[in-house]
Parts: sequence; C-alpha cells; structure tokens
Amino acid sequence: MATFLLFSLSELTMSATDHNQSTDTTQTSADKTTHFGYKTIDKEDKVSMVAGVFHSVAKQYDIMNDLMSFGIHRLWKRFTIDASGVRPGNKVLDLAGGTGDLTAKFSQLVGKQGNVVLADINSSMLNVGRDKLRDKGLVQNIDYVQANAQYLPFEDNTFDIVTIAFGLRNVTDKDMALRSIYRVLKPGGRLLVLEFSKPEHELINKAYDFYSFNILPKMGELVAKDGDSYQYLAESIRMHPDQETLKTMLDNAGFEQTSFKNLTGGVVALHKGYKF
Amino acid sequence: MTVPNATISSQLMLSQTLAASLEAIINKVLSLESVNGSLEKLGQKTLTLVLAELGFPLSFTVTSSIGGNDKMLLVNSLTEGVDCTINTSIKTLRELQAKQQLTELIKQDKLDVTGDIKVAQQFASFAENIDIDWQSELAKHIGDVATHQLMKLSKKLSTKLNFARKQIQADASEYIVHEQRLVVTRNQIEEFNQSVNDVNLQAVELEARIAKLNKK
Repeated sequence: MATFLLFSLSELTMSATDHNQSTDTTQTSADKTTHFGYKTIDKEDKVSMVAGVFHSVAKQYDIMNDLMSFGIHRLWKRFTIDASGVRPGNKVLDLAGGTGDLTAKFSQLVGKQGNVVLADINSSMLNVGRDKLRDKGLVQNIDYVQANAQYLPFEDNTFDIVTIAFGLRNVTDKDMALRSIYRVLKPGGRLLVLEFSKPEHELINKAYDFYSFNILPKMGELVAKDGDSYQYLAESIRMHPDQETLKTMLDNAGFEQTSFKNLTGGVVALHKGYKF
Repeated sequence: MTVPNATISSQLMLSQTLAASLEAIINKVLSLESVNGSLEKLGQKTLTLVLAELGFPLSFTVTSSIGGNDKMLLVNSLTEGVDCTINTSIKTLRELQAKQQLTELIKQDKLDVTGDIKVAQQFASFAENIDIDWQSELAKHIGDVATHQLMKLSKKLSTKLNFARKQIQADASEYIVHEQRLVVTRNQIEEFNQSVNDVNLQAVELEARIAKLNKK
C-alpha cells in the first residue's frame, strides 16, 4: 500500500517557477484563487508554497521515493522502459524527468548513437538529475532542457519516444501538454504516461487513503521534516483523472492505439499512445 | 473498470522484479571478475531469452557507462530491436555454457535461435569465462581467518549433509523395497525378465516339437 505516493517534486514545483503553471490545481472562475491540494488559496501564495515544498524535500527526493513506495517505483519505471520498445539510436524525451531514473536507463539502451533529453520545468531538479547521472558516468548522450510540457521547445517530429512519469498530473493544461507531446513525436513514435491513478478495488482504495493521509505525512515529517508537503502530495493525486478519462484525453490529443495497464492494483497506470 | 490486457504477471510486475534481481546479481559478478574483455564484442548487443517456464522474455543488453570503459548488463523485458532471440527451457540453459554446446543443442531441437547466432555464442562464451574466487572475495569483507574458519565449517557441513543424504536414501530404499515391498529391485526385475525369456524359449521349443509330431 505504501507504493501509492511516489513524489515527483520536479513537476510539483511547476508553479514555483512559472506563475502561469499551477501544479495539479483547478483554477476557479474568479481566476485569483486556486487549489493547493484540497485547500483554496491565492495563486500568489501557491507559488511560494510549492516552491517551499520543493526546497524542503528536494535533498530527500530519492530516499523518500524509495521509502514511501518500498522501492516499487523502480519496478513501475522498469515496466515503462519495457513498454517503450526503445532501441539503440533512438531519440527519447524524458519529460518531467526529475532526478533522471528513466533517463539513466534510456541513456544506456539508446547507446552512443542515440540521445536522451531530460526535461523538467524546474532548474533545481534538473541540476539534481544532472549531478546524479554524471556521478553514474552517464554524460555523452544526455541533454538537459528546462521546459514546460505545454510549450515544448523542440521541432516537430523529433522524438521516437516521449515519457512523462509522475508528471502529467501536475501540469495545468494537460490537454495542451498532450498536444505538444504529439507534435514533437515522430510518426510511429510512442508516448508513455506513468501516473498515479484510481485503485481497482474498494479495499485497496481504503488502504490507499489511510496510508496517504495518515502514514505518509508522518513519514514526510520524520524523514524530510515536512509533513505538510506530503499531505499536499496525497491530495494532489486524488485530483488526477482516472484511467479511462486519461485514455480519452490521449485520444483527443490525436494519439492512436491508446491503451493503459494498471499496476499494483491500479494505484499506478501506464498509458500508451502512438502517433502515426 | 475494465483492465485491457491485464495479466497477473504484469500486475505483479514479475518480469521487472526478476530482471532487477538478475541485473543486480550479474553486475555484482561483473564487478568482481575481469570479464570485460569477453563483453567487448557485445557492446550494445541484446540477447533475448524466452524460457518455456516463464511467461515473459528476458533481454540482456551489454552496455557501458557512456564515455567509460566498464561494461554492464541491463536486464529487461524488451523484445523489440533485439539482436538474437533464444527459445528454450531453464534445463537446457544450464547446458548452454560452451560454444560447441550451442550448435549441439540446436541440432537436438532443444533450443531455437533467431537472429544473429554469433551474439548467442558470444554470450555463451562470456558465461563460460566467469570463474570467481568466492573465497578471496569473502576474505575481503570478513578477513582471512574468518573466511578460513567459515570454509572449514562449510566443508564439514557439506560432508555431514552428504553423509546424511546418503544415509536417508539407503534407509528409505530399505523401507520401501524390503519392508513395505512397494517396489522391486533392479536384480529382481532382471531375474523376472530372464524367467520370461526362458519361458518364451521353452514355448518356442514346445511349439516346434508339436509341429514335428503333427507332421508324423
């Protein structure tokens, strides 16, 4: 059950770096307030609040991911790699790549002839990811780009594969981001969206809620010294579209042969779509 | 909620769990053994194993730290863009350690290879070259004396276990064959077969004699 709350702070900090990008929030009609988890707050306040969340837990990012998910986030990411069909020489975009777990694997699989772009909207997370990957000796075929998923700064038909893991839920205009991804994918390319979703069974759902709202904040308090940030995380996950809704969003963005696979009872789902 | 193509295996991520474990073990071994030379020719090559016992493929890709020299193996379930695929079973895999074995096993239809067979041969050669001195590796962590004592103890235990195994086997055999008479011994079977042959021979002789008397 502890797998539920992988924390992709790289995306969480979107609003910290771009005022136009609140994270997983829904803007109110007044356009002056927004949601911070379940709370309604002034947009200006959110910028600093989310930035605070990021600065507070950034150093503990990987440790917290392992701790909260009992390491299962590594399996979810492996599943994503397996579904990617990546080959030597491919060009891959790891959107909202955070500390570069997927980039590290892709970099090794595409080889010297290939290229991986680790993109994140937050420069701090990019720096963390770059340091981590360089320490692993992964240097030659990786580029780092600070980019907003809604306005990807790449030419049309550039990438063979685009992945966005634990990032889409934090994008303000998800439909726009999906269209932007579609644009940069090559014909025949595929998009993989790994994201928290809706558990399939009520029992799992209840356990998930209990863990999210009772244990997770305490864990965050203990390890990252920031329980509130993890309370926010739990709330933000609840606001993400369920499996079928996200699949429809992929269809609407132009993707074909869209499908999804539930992992760990639907706690996480991997959506896949092709551009033809 | 419908779950398209959902399987227990993918839900539990068995292939990913196994791949992660294998990858960790193999790369630990690679770090202990200087086998990089035999991996040199396999740079960025992928071998996929489809084992009859598993419901998913396992792909092994030789890669290196980009810009570095150390080779490592990535294990995953990718099936696209692989250089060689071997369909076989775990039992056969044990025999697949020498280059010459590979050809032999193909002839025996114990494995099916598609793609570049050289890749399979090079992987087999790599597996054959692995020869780790576990004793000295252990000594690096716990010291020479402790390693010596541990090896002595394990040897002693192994001897005792071996003895116990043989003893149990003998006792079980005695109980089943002689006390319970549930099965017969090889000698008894041979004796029985011999008797059947004798009866058969006598019957043939008798038949010949009857035929001879009938003619008269």
